[in-house]
Amino acid sequence: MKRTRRSTVGSLTALGIAGLAGCLDGGIVGSIREGGEAGEGGEAGEGAGSGTTGETGGSADGNDGSSDGTVPPTADGSRYLAYELDHLREESLSGGVGVDGIPSIDDPNFAPIDESNLVDDAPVFGVVRDGEAKAYPQHVLVHHEIVNDTLGGDPVAVTYCPLTGTTQGFERGATTFGVSGQLVNSNLIMYDRETESRWPQMLATGIDGSMYSETLREFPVVWTTLGEWRSERPDSAILTDDTGYARRYGNDPYGVYAPIGGYYAADETMFPALSTPEAGHAKSVVIGARSADGAVAFDKETLLAERVLEGRLEPADDDVVAVADPALSTGYVYRTPGDATVEPDGNGYRVEGGEAGSGGGFDADDLPLDRVLAFDAMWFAWAGFYPDTGFAGEHTEAGYGR
Amino acid sequence: MAAETASPTASPVAWLSGLVRRTAFAVRVSLSRRDGRATLGLVAVAYFVLYSVGLGHLGRAGGAAVRGGTGGSAPVLDLFVVSDPLLTATRRVAPFQYEPVALLTVGPIEYLFAPVNAVLGLGLAGLVGVTLAVSVVAWRGPSACRIGAGAGAAAGLPGLLSGFVCCGPTILLVIGIQASAGVLAVLQWFLPLAVASLFVTLLWVGSRVDPDTVR
Repeated sequence: MKRTRRSTVGSLTALGIAGLAGCLDGGIVGSIREGGEAGEGGEAGEGAGSGTTGETGGSADGNDGSSDGTVPPTADGSRYLAYELDHLREESLSGGVGVDGIPSIDDPNFAPIDESNLVDDAPVFGVVRDGEAKAYPQHVLVHHEIVNDTLGGDPVAVTYCPLTGTTQGFERGATTFGVSGQLVNSNLIMYDRETESRWPQMLATGIDGSMYSETLREFPVVWTTLGEWRSERPDSAILTDDTGYARRYGNDPYGVYAPIGGYYAADETMFPALSTPEAGHAKSVVIGARSADGAVAFDKETLLAERVLEGRLEPADDDVVAVADPALSTGYVYRTPGDATVEPDGNGYRVEGGEAGSGGGFDADDLPLDRVLAFDAMWFAWAGFYPDTGFAGEHTEAGYGR
Repeated sequence: MAAETASPTASPVAWLSGLVRRTAFAVRVSLSRRDGRATLGLVAVAYFVLYSVGLGHLGRAGGAAVRGGTGGSAPVLDLFVVSDPLLTATRRVAPFQYEPVALLTVGPIEYLFAPVNAVLGLGLAGLVGVTLAVSVVAWRGPSACRIGAGAGAAAGLPGLLSGFVCCGPTILLVIGIQASAGVLAVLQWFLPLAVASLFVTLLWVGSRVDPDTVR
């Protein structure tokens, strides 16, 4: 009896020690380092060009960062930022997990998409690069947020932040990205494992570390559904939940998308935003685009209903147009210099006055205009990062624009 | 007994020693009774289940995204174990949260087994169960016992809360509080505070029990 009591007390003491260790270990909640390693700069909105060109809307080449490509390759110029980089770093806070507490998938496994047992409405993030198509299911990425993969022969990271509803692709060079455990404006702050610089996903810009103020090379990722992606890309592979980690992949800790519920439908956020828009549901979905000098958001549900929306990158006051792609329930953004106009033309689009001339029957993703990389985002997150953003369409309810 | 004779100001060590001995005696006596053991068992099991649900480690299998489809019916019993369970088990993912090493699916229920969290949960469950067992035994005893039913609720509350705060900021979504650096800092300390408060509550409950009335 006595021995049992002592054992119990010993066990409880060990638990207490483990508990305190859990609290006091600074490694648990990775903190953004003080600015000792911060480089020069912090000026917002400087640099040339949006870095988004070509039919894929991907980033223009900048530099490889190092001769052996061990650091993430960077883009020419910078993205528009409404805040100083130091302010963004100061506004970063713990998301409740430590560095790599949400583990990235570094050894992804894929299966043919027609073997998937997901429902057709399940959200997936589709990518095509050099002819290779892949789909990344939201219900897997919500537990990992980053997949370090190889696409079209290139090392890339496909990323997803569930709290801001954003999925974006980045070139990663020879290194990999991980989840820092920190958030800013509710948005995932990634870190690269070579320099440990911190990169807020939506900004694609280093806010701390030796790559401070550098801009990552991005490529477009389409937020669509399994059924739509399978119809458009039957040759696609799909990420499986054979990740090496034990997870309840059928259980989304934040809510559910099909049908929408939980955090994804609530007008409240879990973490404070950098700024709050005057109108609009926090979780309504916009298709956002940014250049070096401005940002614009198109309400996704409005765009899918009206097919064409004109807007402006603000504060640059540059004209852009968004066109819907009903097959994938998404949209693409193009610059419209001069008096160029776009209007529906059957299932495609007609462009008048473009620099490449006028014509009709263009696919939504193949207009003869300069394409600006765009991605889905929850309205509160976009307006939080870009309070002076241009906006086009009507504010709608929570959802993913369908 | 020493707890009755020593003064906490004049002789704190003797007073504390007496308090611990008296509480240990109350626990031993309580668990020697059937109602005490039943209370411990029921409360500990219920607490552990709630703790595991709060962590997100226990729940219904499948979800909206993976229902239906062409994958066929799920197996009734399935066990997945990671490739390196020992190394994985000690990998901390958040304060008081450790990496699961296995996923057990039994029919419609699935359970993520994270060994350290299982030990933490069982420890908390035992503490809450013992405290409530002593409370119940004392409450059911003669009026000479100087303790009321409210002590039982007081004993269980901090432990229950600590279980749910283990799931991190997602609990804030449920209770409608927005996270801030201050709130998150408090959350990190909630579990050790809960353990400490459970010990204090147990000592308090034990000190209120007259051993002669509960034999």
